[in-house]
Amino acid sequence: MGVTCVSQMPVAEGKSVQQTVEILTRKLELLGAEKQGTFCVDCETYHTAASTMGNQGQAGKLMYVMHNSEYPLSCFALFENGPCLIADANFDVLMVKLKGFFQNAKANKIESRGTRYQYCDFLVKVGTVTMGPSARGISVEVEYCPCVVANDCWNLLMEFMQSFMGNHTPGNPSVFGNKHDNIYSPGDTMAQYMELFNKIRKQQQVPVAGIR
Amino acid sequence: MEAPPVTMMPVTGGTINMMEYLLQGSVLDQSLESLLHRLRGLCDNMEPETFLDHEMVFLLKGQQASPFVLRARRSMDKTGTPWHLRYLGQPEMGDKNRHALVRNCVDIATSENLTDFLMEMGFRMDHEFVAKGHVFRKGIMKIVVYKIFRILVPGNTDSIEPLSLSYLVELSVVAPAGQDIVSDDMRNFAEQLKPLVHLEKIDPKRLM
Repeated sequence: MGVTCVSQMPVAEGKSVQQTVEILTRKLELLGAEKQGTFCVDCETYHTAASTMGNQGQAGKLMYVMHNSEYPLSCFALFENGPCLIADANFDVLMVKLKGFFQNAKANKIESRGTRYQYCDFLVKVGTVTMGPSARGISVEVEYCPCVVANDCWNLLMEFMQSFMGNHTPGNPSVFGNKHDNIYSPGDTMAQYMELFNKIRKQQQVPVAGIR
Repeated sequence: MEAPPVTMMPVTGGTINMMEYLLQGSVLDQSLESLLHRLRGLCDNMEPETFLDHEMVFLLKGQQASPFVLRARRSMDKTGTPWHLRYLGQPEMGDKNRHALVRNCVDIATSENLTDFLMEMGFRMDHEFVAKGHVFRKGIMKIVVYKIFRILVPGNTDSIEPLSLSYLVELSVVAPAGQDIVSDDMRNFAEQLKPLVHLEKIDPKRLM
């Protein structure tokens, strides 16, 4: 996977989530991007059940189990600020077996669904983030496929994002952190989605323009 | 750049319960060659395959009486292969006529940071060992003949010593639940290995 930036697009003033998504996708189509199917990224939250907390002597940890339609046979499991495990689809079956130790907070399930666009070497995915029945925000994922080192293409990515996101272009993702010269991996994309979902979960039900 | 097949919904793990059917036996070191010779004749024609694996067993203790056990296995001689995480359930009791030990199993391929991740989940390593041997296949049956080595210094797989003067022989099949005919096929195959090795259904609880 090429270097990817995942960010949130605030809802335009006076418009709904769906209308803002339409404005964005129209801009992309005017640029010349081609629609190429759909995508979905989802995230489930597990927390350590009371039965194991006594042994650890610390507050229960949150574990996120995520899926990405770009990698249909994989499952990503991560801890905030912790390791990210990439496993095959059977990991979900294992989590069912572990339900005595890790409880699925079903109400916290959050996902982003939308259209995939290809523009030359870029892959852009604009998704509506929903939690249960309500739309909570908009996610924009931009991937520059030929490059896997963040340092080498960050400026190019930013320039491209400015062409359709304008003032809402994000800054350096924290996932790049200190390791600008490391090889980018799908785990980094999932970590960015996890951060985005956590931010959206904390936001109020109706997001206001200007809040990122 | 071609569009890869993209599905509307992310594909999540199937909920088909897979069961492992198992028969075990052992042979002394001096009988290894004749067993391998017979297996080469009986099994599917393939390049002789040896393996050298390092397995770590992790436990998660909770308020329940029995801890949750997970096995993490990595290949020491084949680079680039994923780690193998395995969950094995309790042996299914019941049918005394069933010829093989049956237990629920979940096999997961994972990235290399598996041990760090398991520790983060709260698992602690209980024990580890090195397994070195040969693997054969006949249809869906897998026959493994291997020696277990004790690791003298925890974490150091270079200093190992054999646990015994014999090789463990395992005949196993992983199939969806309810396919009991599998154990008949296994028994028939096991008959062909007698008297070199006697493969039987061994209940792990009776050994403890």
